[in-house]
Amino acid sequence: MHIPDGFLPATVCAAGYVVAAPVTWYSLRRINQKENPRADIPKASLLTAAFFVVSWIHIPVPPTSVHLVLNGLLGAVLGYFAFPAILIGLFFQAVMFQHGGLTTLGVNALIMGLPALLSYYIFRLRNITDKRQRIMTGVFGFLAGFVSVGVSVGMFAVILLTSIPADLDVVTERAAIYTLALAHLPLMVIEGVFTALVTVFLWRVRPQLLDNT
Amino acid sequence: MRIGIDEYAYLGSPLHHWDPRYKFIGLMAVIFAFSFVRDLRMLAVMVTVTAVIYIISKLPFSFWLTRLRYPSFFLMVVVLLLPFVSGHTIIMSIGPLDLRQEGLIAVLLIAIRFVSILTIGLVLFGTAPFLTTIKAMRALGLPAILTDMTLLAFRYLNEIGDDLHKMETSMKLRGFHERRFSRHGLGILAWLGGSILVRSYEQSEWVYKAMIVRGYGHAVHPREEFKASSRDLIALIAILLVAVGFIAGDILCRREAMALLQ
Amino acid sequence: MQQYHQKSQGQPALVVSGLWFSYPDMPNVLQDVSLEVMPGERVGLIGPNGAGKTTFFLGICGVLKPSAGEIVVLGKRVLNGDFRPEVGLVFQNPDDQLFCPSVRDDVAFGPLNMGLPRDEVEIRVAEALSTVGGAELADRPAHHLSEGEKRMVSIASVLAMRPRLVIHDEPSANLDIRSRRRLIRLMQASKETLLIASHDLELVLEICTRVVLIDGGRIIVDGDPRQVMGDDRLMEAHGQEKPHSLVPHPAPHPHHHQ
Repeated sequence: MHIPDGFLPATVCAAGYVVAAPVTWYSLRRINQKENPRADIPKASLLTAAFFVVSWIHIPVPPTSVHLVLNGLLGAVLGYFAFPAILIGLFFQAVMFQHGGLTTLGVNALIMGLPALLSYYIFRLRNITDKRQRIMTGVFGFLAGFVSVGVSVGMFAVILLTSIPADLDVVTERAAIYTLALAHLPLMVIEGVFTALVTVFLWRVRPQLLDNT
Repeated sequence: MRIGIDEYAYLGSPLHHWDPRYKFIGLMAVIFAFSFVRDLRMLAVMVTVTAVIYIISKLPFSFWLTRLRYPSFFLMVVVLLLPFVSGHTIIMSIGPLDLRQEGLIAVLLIAIRFVSILTIGLVLFGTAPFLTTIKAMRALGLPAILTDMTLLAFRYLNEIGDDLHKMETSMKLRGFHERRFSRHGLGILAWLGGSILVRSYEQSEWVYKAMIVRGYGHAVHPREEFKASSRDLIALIAILLVAVGFIAGDILCRREAMALLQ
Repeated sequence: MQQYHQKSQGQPALVVSGLWFSYPDMPNVLQDVSLEVMPGERVGLIGPNGAGKTTFFLGICGVLKPSAGEIVVLGKRVLNGDFRPEVGLVFQNPDDQLFCPSVRDDVAFGPLNMGLPRDEVEIRVAEALSTVGGAELADRPAHHLSEGEKRMVSIASVLAMRPRLVIHDEPSANLDIRSRRRLIRLMQASKETLLIASHDLELVLEICTRVVLIDGGRIIVDGDPRQVMGDDRLMEAHGQEKPHSLVPHPAPHPHHHQ
C-alpha cells in the first residue's frame, strides 16, 4: 500500500505533502487540547514503535505470508494520534528499509492515515450500547480493520493508476483498479479478523489502551 | 536487532562532514528535483549526478546493492507490465503481446527516477548517525511533538523488536509453527501482537514517570547543536543550483520537444 | 518500632509523616508510613515485592500523590507535580529511564530541565559520567550498552542533577558480579544521603547504616542492619532470609568487604 519514489509526478507528491500537513497539524492540535498532552507522548511514541514491530509478524497465507497493514487497529487504539504515528512509521520504513518513499511520504501518509482516522470513528460506534461489550468490540474491531484497509487499497489504486506517467486507456485502468481491489479482499477479511481479535484481547487484558475510543 | 542504515556513518567523506541541516535541505531538494523530471535526456544527467554524489559519499557499492535489492521487486512488476499495456505505438510483437513505446518510456522514467531517488536517500541517511539527522530536522523546524515522538519511537524500536523475537522463539519452542493458515493460528498471532502493545503501553508509563522525575516539561531550551561553516554553505548553494538546474533543464527540454512536434 | 538515629547534623534530609497511599484497584499500598532520614545516612529498604517501596519512592519525588500524609525533603514540602532535582531516583529498570538518543543526551536531560546554561550542563555531564566510570560511553545509543553499563549511565543521569538524596530501586538487579562490585564501590564512595530498596541483602549489609523492613505497606522494623537482618524469625515472618554473611560459619572465612 506504499507508493515508492519515482512513480508519481512531482505535482502529486507535493500535493500529498500539502494535504497531509494540515491533517497532521489538526491531529497535533487535538492532542494538545487533552488534559495532559505531555503524558500521552511517551505512550503514543512507544505504541508507534510497537505497531511498527507488530506489523512485522508474518501471517501465513499459503503459498506465502503477508504483513498486515494495521491502520484500522492504529485508529482504534490511538485515535487522532494515529496520523502522526503513521507518518513516523512510514518515515522509518522509507529510511530504514527503503520501503515506501521519501517524496511519496505525504501521499502514503494520506493513503494509510485517513482511513485510520475513519476507523477511529467506526470503532467508537461500539459504545452506542453498554451491553454486550465483548461482541460490540469484536464486531466494530472487524469493521475498523476491514474498512480501513479497503479504503487504503482504493486510494492506492486510484492514485497510482491515474498518476503514473503512462498512457492507460480508461478500460485498462478500471480493470486494473478492480483487479487490485478484488485481490485484496481476502487480505481485508484477515485484517478485519485480526483487528477484532486484538481489540477483544486488549479489552480483556488492558482496557485502558482503548480509552481513546 | 540492528537497523543498519547508518552502519557506514563513521566514514569520512565530504558528505559525512557536511552540516547535517544543510545536507538535508540540499539532498531533499535534489530528490524533489528528480521527481520533477519527465524528459528522457535529463535522465542521463540524473544518473550521472546520482553516481557522482554516491561516489563522493564513499559508501560501499555492496551497501547500495543490498539496500536496493528488496524494494526493486515492486518495480520489477511494473517494469514487466507497463510496456505491454500502456500506450499505442507498437514497436515489437512477442507472440500475442505487443511491446509499446510509451509504456517502455514510462518504465524507463519510473525506474531511473526510483533508483536515483533511493540512492540519494541512502546518501542522506547513510552518511550520519540516524539520530543526528533527526536532530537536524528538528533544528530545521519540524514540530517538537513529532521529533520527540520519532526519537522515542526509534529508541524503543530495538527493544520492542527484541521482545517480539523472544516471544516468537518461545512460541516456536513450544511447538507453534506458523506455516499453515488457521483461525486458531491467527488468534495466537493476534495475542502476540496484543501482548506487544500491552507491554509497550506499560513500559511507556514508566518512561513517563522517569521523564518527569528528571524534570520533563520544565524548561524549553532551543538546542543549538549544529554550527555550519562557510564551506557547508557553499556546498548547499551549489547543490541547490544543481536541483534548480534539473527543473529548468527539464522544462526547457520538454518545451523543445513540444516545439519539434509542431 | 525501633528508631535508630545517627548524630544529628542539622535538618533531616527526609521526613515522612503518616503517609497513606492507595491506587483505585489496590487500596492500602502504603499505610501510615513515617520515617526520618538524616543527611549522610544510608538507609536500606527491604521487604517482599508489592510492599510499596516503589510507590513510596515515587511519592518522595512528587510523581505520585499520597492519599494522606506529608513528605518533606530538605526542609521543603513535596507537592505532587514538583520538580525536585535535589532528589534523584534511579529506577529499577534502566531501559525505562534511558529514553534519549544517546548517553550524553540522557545525562544532560536533567540539568537542561533545571535551566542550566549549556556549558554548565556539559561540565555536569562529564563529571557524572566520570564518577560512574562511563566517560567513553557518552556518544553511544542506549540499546548498545550492557546491563551494567546501562545501570551506570542511569545513575549518572541522576547524579548530573547533583542531588543531595539519591534513591536506588533494586540497583543490583540483573548485574553480573563484576558490575555489581563496581556499583557497591560507587555507592560506598558517594557522599549523598542514600535510600536503597533491594532484595540483595548482602549489598544492603555492605552499604547501609540503617535498615527499614516494609511489608504490606507498613514499616515493621527500623534499625541496625545486623540486628534487623540477623533476626531469623523476624526475617522469615516477612518473606525474607538472613543474609549469608550473618549466618554463623563453622570455619570462619575472611570477608570480602572491608
